[in-house]
Amino acid sequence: MKKLKKLALLILMMSICLTLIVACGSGDKEQGNIAGKTIKIGWIGSLTGDQSVFGICERDTIQMLVDEVNKEGGIAGKQLEFIPYDTRGTPEEAVNAVNRLVNNDKVLVILGPNSSGLAIPIASVLEKGKVADIATVATNEKVTVDNGVLKPYNFRVCFIDPYQGGVAATFAYKEQGFKTAAILSDISDEYSQGMAEYFKKTFEDLGGEIIAEEAFKTGDVDFRPQLTKIKDKAPDCIFLPYFYKEVSLTAQQADEIGIETTFIGGDGWTSDQLMEMGGPYLQGSFIVNHVDFDDPEVQGLTNQFLETYPGQPVQLNTFMGHDAFVTAKAAIEKVAAAESKISSAAVAKALEGIQVKGITGTIHISPDDHNPIGKEAAIITIDGDQYKFVMKYAADMSN
Amino acid sequence: MDQFLQQLINGVSIGSIYALMAVGYSLVYSIMNFSNFAHGGVIMLSAYMGYFAIILLDVSFGVALLLATLGATLIAVLIERIAYSPLRKRKAPTLYFIISAMGMSILLENLVIATIGPQFKTYPIIFAESTIKLGNLSISKMDIFMLIIAAIALAGLVFFLNKTRTGIAVRAATYNARASQLMGVNVGRIVSIVFALGGALAGIAGVFFGIRYTVYAQAGIITNKAFVAAVFGGLGSLPGAIIGSILLGIIETFVAAWRSQLRDLTTFAILIAVLVLKPTGLMGKNTEDKA
Repeated sequence: MKKLKKLALLILMMSICLTLIVACGSGDKEQGNIAGKTIKIGWIGSLTGDQSVFGICERDTIQMLVDEVNKEGGIAGKQLEFIPYDTRGTPEEAVNAVNRLVNNDKVLVILGPNSSGLAIPIASVLEKGKVADIATVATNEKVTVDNGVLKPYNFRVCFIDPYQGGVAATFAYKEQGFKTAAILSDISDEYSQGMAEYFKKTFEDLGGEIIAEEAFKTGDVDFRPQLTKIKDKAPDCIFLPYFYKEVSLTAQQADEIGIETTFIGGDGWTSDQLMEMGGPYLQGSFIVNHVDFDDPEVQGLTNQFLETYPGQPVQLNTFMGHDAFVTAKAAIEKVAAAESKISSAAVAKALEGIQVKGITGTIHISPDDHNPIGKEAAIITIDGDQYKFVMKYAADMSN
Repeated sequence: MDQFLQQLINGVSIGSIYALMAVGYSLVYSIMNFSNFAHGGVIMLSAYMGYFAIILLDVSFGVALLLATLGATLIAVLIERIAYSPLRKRKAPTLYFIISAMGMSILLENLVIATIGPQFKTYPIIFAESTIKLGNLSISKMDIFMLIIAAIALAGLVFFLNKTRTGIAVRAATYNARASQLMGVNVGRIVSIVFALGGALAGIAGVFFGIRYTVYAQAGIITNKAFVAAVFGGLGSLPGAIIGSILLGIIETFVAAWRSQLRDLTTFAILIAVLVLKPTGLMGKNTEDKA
């Protein structure tokens, strides 16, 4: 009996201690990481593997911008410290890298990664450490919102896949005056289905009519049955929300059948191979993309990058990395102006609703879904064997 | 009406590519009694050979077609020597042949991904003005050209099988391999000839497939459809393979035009229905051992 009492006491004491430890822990963790002498900014992305060309470009761009800010005196008198880690393109390494940044390096905010596959698994680590992450080119809806639940520490500066569909529909209806449209989409691909759905909704909300909706499956190579049916309905434009190979085949077969309407698509189109194979059949088509390299507004950054890193190619990541950085910088400045202690939790809070002029358009982070609101896309047309910049264009997707 | 006719043209065009593939399948089946799944690999390699002949050797389309056909013939015979001949000598069960064929087909696909890479290749445009217009209808010149080449190739095959000594030996071997061996026919040689013929047809099919649908390592998958067509027409029967292919092409086209997502469902439902209800297909000759 005595033994049992002792054991009970021991358990009681242990549980009290445990509660205290947990309580202390959560007390410390309430604000996440606090800025010390320097402001630490983490970055994750692929520096090895087949995505490394994008990762290296993104890291170098941000390093260049960090150096620039430091030369001008940093933020609130503190110098910035940039800590980039390689994800090797795998989700496991991405989680490890975020763990190190959050728990060992104690960063205030993390930039990157540039793909949804790496951005989705890091959410729980961010949440535990109360550190925000701003993804650059992670376009899958689930990066910031999963099943209707907002992930509190995940943000991004790129628009999501379906948004392109909305931009395409608005551009087609308002700028080109197209009143009827047909959609051909890949029924087994989420990217394609998401874009098709938003195109339809937006186009119909504006007053347009979708007169044909056809589909195929990934791996299909012959679209003539669907195209023949579409031809019969004679739409003003045909929306093709899928990738360049199928787009090339579609355009070629549409030409064969005698379809002469305008094609519209998204960022899945852009490729040299699209030109090679589909170019002649895609003249005058429109592409919705994140940014266009010929846009006069991006030339300043392009030149700065090329001067800093001669011989390195400029990628989309240069622009998206830039915008992620200026968004983070604005949030840190906002916190620094209001409080003496800069905590990572406060930076995350400040990111919600923040509005910054980025290079790919105005970045206005929505507090509801952590995506940029009404972000401008670049509309590009195909002329000869060139991609030509048409205009920047945003869609109102609020309804 | 226009739409109906145009869809019919589409269907025949799709079906005729299946036909070139299915005949090769059926031919090998008729003598070996197993489905040579490596056939798709040969078609894929032929598409690459034709492409590289045009791009690297800068030859005309006709020469490229010839080179690819010869190359495919050689590869098909080689595959038989490497993957099937040892099994044949051991008198291995049919299942072993099928497994070996599947292995070979996956091996070829991965060989191409490892050496040439996963990106697809595009043939240069061969006919500048690519279609002929008949009122509202349009027919691709390449389709007409392909139909002509396919007709010549198949007519040549029929002539060979019916009129030449070797052809008669092939037919004898397909009828009864053991008996014809007893009558002095070298069955080993006949098998090589059959694979060469199948390879040549795969070569032609591969180049036309590549021109129409681009060249990529997974192109062999399309032969699943040719396999269905061959079963539909009756495995082992050459006219059956042709008729089955054209019919399948037309059925697929109309199903796709009606509800595109039902197309493959229909195709493979046909496969199962034929195997269950009429294993000999439309024109097959015997019911034993369909695999």
